[in-house]
Amino acid sequence: MQTRRETDRKEMSPGMLAVLFSAPAVLIIAATILAPFLMAVFLSLHNWNLKRPGRERFIGLENYTDWLSDSDFWGPLQTTFSFAFLAVVVIVVIALLIALLLNEKFPGRGLLRALLLVPWAIPSVVNALLWKWLLNPQYGLLNAVFFELGIITEYQNVLGSMPSVMIWLVIAYSWIHIPLATLLLLSGLQTIPDDIYESAIVDGAGVGQRFLFITLPMLWPMLSIVIIFEMIFALKVFDIIFVLTAGGPADATNVLGWQIYTETFRKLDFGAGSSIAMLLGGITLALAIIFYVILDKGVER
Amino acid sequence: MLRSHKLLALLLVLALLIGATASAQDDGLKLTGWPYEVDVVTENLGRFTEQSGHGAVFLPFPSNEYRDKMVASFVAGTEFDVAYVRDSYLAEWASAGWILPISDLEGADELLADLPAGIIEQMSYDGDVYGLPYYSGVQTMAYNAAHLAAAGIMAPPATWDEMLEQAQMIKDAGVVDYPILMQLRSGENYLLREWETLTAARGGRLFDDDFNPLFQEEGSAAWQALDWLTEGLDAGLIDPASLTDDDGTLLMAAGTTSYMTTTDYTLKAMNDPEQSNAAGDIKNALIPGTDDVKSGTWGYVRLYAITNNAQDMDAAWQLVQFLGGKDATGVYYVPKRWALEFGLGFSPAPLYEDEEVRNSISGWIDPDLLSEQSEYAISRPYRFVPFFSDWEIGSWGPLQAAILGDADKGEVLNELAEEWNELKDDWGY
Amino acid sequence: MKARAHVRLAIVYVAAAIVLVGTIGPFLWLVSSSFQYERQLLNRPPQWLPNPIVLDSYREIFEGAILGEASGVPYQSRIFLRSFANSFFVAGSVAAIAVLVGAYAAYPLARLHFRGRSVLLFGILASRLIPALSLAIPIVLVAKKIGMSDKIISLVFINLSFILPYVIWLLQSYFKSIPMELEDAGRIDGCSRLQVVHKIILPLSLPGLTSAGILAFLLTWGEFLFALLLSETPASYTSTVVVSLFATDVDVSFVSIITAGVISVIPPICFALVFQRFIISGLLSGSLKG
Repeated sequence: MQTRRETDRKEMSPGMLAVLFSAPAVLIIAATILAPFLMAVFLSLHNWNLKRPGRERFIGLENYTDWLSDSDFWGPLQTTFSFAFLAVVVIVVIALLIALLLNEKFPGRGLLRALLLVPWAIPSVVNALLWKWLLNPQYGLLNAVFFELGIITEYQNVLGSMPSVMIWLVIAYSWIHIPLATLLLLSGLQTIPDDIYESAIVDGAGVGQRFLFITLPMLWPMLSIVIIFEMIFALKVFDIIFVLTAGGPADATNVLGWQIYTETFRKLDFGAGSSIAMLLGGITLALAIIFYVILDKGVER
Repeated sequence: MLRSHKLLALLLVLALLIGATASAQDDGLKLTGWPYEVDVVTENLGRFTEQSGHGAVFLPFPSNEYRDKMVASFVAGTEFDVAYVRDSYLAEWASAGWILPISDLEGADELLADLPAGIIEQMSYDGDVYGLPYYSGVQTMAYNAAHLAAAGIMAPPATWDEMLEQAQMIKDAGVVDYPILMQLRSGENYLLREWETLTAARGGRLFDDDFNPLFQEEGSAAWQALDWLTEGLDAGLIDPASLTDDDGTLLMAAGTTSYMTTTDYTLKAMNDPEQSNAAGDIKNALIPGTDDVKSGTWGYVRLYAITNNAQDMDAAWQLVQFLGGKDATGVYYVPKRWALEFGLGFSPAPLYEDEEVRNSISGWIDPDLLSEQSEYAISRPYRFVPFFSDWEIGSWGPLQAAILGDADKGEVLNELAEEWNELKDDWGY
Repeated sequence: MKARAHVRLAIVYVAAAIVLVGTIGPFLWLVSSSFQYERQLLNRPPQWLPNPIVLDSYREIFEGAILGEASGVPYQSRIFLRSFANSFFVAGSVAAIAVLVGAYAAYPLARLHFRGRSVLLFGILASRLIPALSLAIPIVLVAKKIGMSDKIISLVFINLSFILPYVIWLLQSYFKSIPMELEDAGRIDGCSRLQVVHKIILPLSLPGLTSAGILAFLLTWGEFLFALLLSETPASYTSTVVVSLFATDVDVSFVSIITAGVISVIPPICFALVFQRFIISGLLSGSLKG
């Protein structure tokens, strides 16, 4: 019996196997998200303002075309891209450096690894408070530190103008997100067998060569995933903006995530809010696919 | 591996079991609000239950996200009976049909008769009153008396120009870097309110009674107000942090700001030695005016309203009357308690005469100046149209750009007026 | 050789110190602030170390949790530690289920060639592409209609559906790094696909599975939006909701918020400390030799 059942299984097509193996996960996701997602799509095709009950009607793609011809979409889109680009670069580079460090063997490594997760474990409301206190122009901690070190001669109001407001938003955001990227990259580094490094050392390869010809190629699959994840996160940025600048000053930090929030929760215009969210989703998907294709090529090379 | 699978399966079953048992129990009326003094609210509800026989429970939600939480609950049809409401979104909730008018309910007339017209206006939408006040008050000015004294200044400024002069003296004396904080951040609690204060205190308004914009007229009070802000920022007298800071009261408490306009009750925290480094130095003054106008301000109200999901309308109305009006013994029990023990502003006329209440707040604010301030409150009916917040959200960015000098004031104001008029036509006002 | 090892260690420790200051420095300020008076947070220059050491906010939180109403401390402090039970339950279940279910889903994506693989890969990700804010109200509405609001089990499902895509992507990438020869060898020995997964893939992926579990636990522990929107009564609050309750509209108890934040960090970090010993290298090189 035993052998026959196994033979049966072996003959099952890869497609069937894929369906069986992924069914629980897909069911959980679909059961929770599918109906709300379709509802959001439905809303995006309607004129649906909660403040005007009884006036809901189907308008096709009008919400979308309205946004696409509106500077309230293109301006925030540009800001979102700038933010996401800076944030992804900063996060990936720093996380990679930290992951390489943590991949070295040294006493105290385990503790350091766990402590590095701290920024990520702080509840978002407390994180908000922390950054408010760090950046405050009057009682701010960073101002005090830089002042004492003689780097600045008077307290700075970094959130008050471009480009410093964007730089500090990226720093605050990255500080919170680096632990996640580090964790993933570290687990990727662990898949690289030590003996490859050992034979490379025997062959006389230096640190730089080992990184370029062993670490980077072998880490590539995980690195590309981290880049895609961080891009998806950063394009949706909202929390840190909500807390530190509320889109200001003068719309300098008005991103699509903020726009979606104000349309949906402030103006109660669910049609406009859902359609702009769908547009952001579409853009993110397109970018994710492009990145995936490019980065996947990197693996094959 | 097998063992860990069993463990996981066990966890899963456990999860389902616990999840299935945890659900809401029925405690009678459900009152939702922000979590200020939860135990006092619960005590008050206990008294209500004793007097009326109706059970009632308080469900506190985080203050900063209260509005969003309630929007989601209303859409989902959650069975909350009575809710705290801020006047800034009353029109929205009323136009969406989420809260119900009380003007025609039995006993409403008597309670409304005790309230000032300005308060009733701020609880009204489309001719109906939607609740009774929880606490209310006016925007006033706070200043740091020690800073003024250190710069040799005898009295707080009576006009806005004088404020800039005094600020220059304070700055020159090296007391603080930026004496004035204006709340110009994006958000419904900041920029527009500050602009309204500055405009009212120049004898003007943003809109007339027929909801026509006035601010775009050259030389209007609203226009002058923006010019004053630009002047103060350029001179380094108004803190540039004004455009992003979300809590000016902390700067007053830190002792790094000399002047700000603020909600009356915040003076309590500013003068609390536990919370403030400037405790005892913070005084209230009339909001400055001009040579022709003495002062100007506006009032705010937080109210109790009945939701459209209320299961028992009669009981819900009884609870609103108990909380915002009189209890079964015919006294303003809850409003008086908030005023007496917590210094929250009250509206019912009989409490103004109450000696106990007057004495209780004089420790941190001058009650005579405060009641004089409230005489200068303007009415703002334009805030109680459903499209106000649509317009307001779009105004923050352009107004900030105009104040900073990044955009032409005339162009920005005219565009904002046009946008308002389009919304007004669209909504048929 | 020994001297070089010392130099290497020195460089590593200098780098570690820099990293530590950057990540833990701001947190240490939170810790320091949690032992201060409210007004001291506004000192200029800042009060770096508590003087005196004020234990009030900790005392309130612990007394409140133990004594309940009899403690006489504010409501928020009383319910804070009790809400940890909900947080533990949700984050723990999500971590366990996400790793278990995610591993099976990741296997075919990593190993099998079938039509629609890319569609599945990106389809899974689809729910993560649009901001949770725009799904929030539909989710709350659906949960209410099917009688699932105010139940923490709903939070488990919602967090799962948000975290599973990340876990699956992470694990499929991880599985790809396991040499195909190992799996082929198993297949030749007569293992079924399921046995291959159980006996070869999962044991060799322990570091990846652990990372995924830590990721799931931390993301869920910190989740706020749905924890707030789906709860109707304090019985279903998670700790993130209670932390936010310390801001009351009329006043904000900053020291209490900070203290609650500091305490909130402890469970997920302990979770990571306990489980990260499975993030070890050498699993693969060892098995190749064997």
